[in-house]
Amino acid sequence: MTNRVRYFRFVKAEISQAALAERVGVSRQTIVAIEKGNYNPSVELALRLAAVFGVTVEQLFQLEAGGGDED
Amino acid sequence: MKTKYSWLNPRTKPVPWISGTLVLLGFLLANGTRSETWWWAILLTGLGAFGPGLLRELGWLRDKDEFQIQASRRAGYHAFLAAGLVSFLWIAFIRSGPRHLKAAEELATFFAALLWFTWLFSSLVNYWGARKTSFRLLLIYGGAWLLFCIASEWMHPLGMLMQSLITVPFFACAWLSRKWPRMTGALLLAASIFFFVLLSRLHQQRGLGLVTSATTMILFIGPLFASGIALMAERVSEERPLAV
Repeated sequence: MTNRVRYFRFVKAEISQAALAERVGVSRQTIVAIEKGNYNPSVELALRLAAVFGVTVEQLFQLEAGGGDED
Repeated sequence: MKTKYSWLNPRTKPVPWISGTLVLLGFLLANGTRSETWWWAILLTGLGAFGPGLLRELGWLRDKDEFQIQASRRAGYHAFLAAGLVSFLWIAFIRSGPRHLKAAEELATFFAALLWFTWLFSSLVNYWGARKTSFRLLLIYGGAWLLFCIASEWMHPLGMLMQSLITVPFFACAWLSRKWPRMTGALLLAASIFFFVLLSRLHQQRGLGLVTSATTMILFIGPLFASGIALMAERVSEERPLAV
């Protein structure tokens, strides 16, 4: 899975990792791990992140090619 | 807004400090006085080490977020695997012939060291990644040896300098681990095997028991060996562009 958390953090919210972590109720380490792709957040955390940036979860997180259902 | 308490990081949680204090206090008090051993102090160490985890599993302590909980559980699983595998190796070894344990406490200490080391290393790799963990561990190793060399030979500058040269490979590997992690991983594995053979012979010459020897190996060679494995196993991460 890939994500655009770092992109939206810089472009949309212009906040630091620490500030984002505080807003969604996790540690800065968690935000770092998500941005590096080392951790896939829970649905609840993904929804909170999307709410901070004002985007949908699908805009924030995407399955890598070959990882989802194909018609 | 800055207050007079601003120097105290609001994100600092008290639990690690409390548990760390209990662990340290337990170790320091365990020897007790000359006439009496304060065996109960060891319980403090166990309480400090495992108490917070038990409270978290019971749901009475909620100081970690989902990523930290997952990292802790993964580290616990790794410690379980390591201790489980070694347990069976030990049983097979004991049954392979007549064996005599010098002190039962040594075996418990050995497993405690194995559990603790595996858990700690796995946690660090989860939080920092293999490269950063190996880099910092190697710096700590080199720094600790350097301090030891200075403390033991400070009155003999030439001797101090010669002994300090031993620390150069550690600092070199720390630097190399950032540039060429897999090659450094292979180097560390080779160094682990070398130190294992060297320490085995030293311990044999000094008549140290197998358990004491194994515990020393875990604490001394374990970090080098584990860093080597972690560096070689790390996936090569590709640089992702900021804007997709």
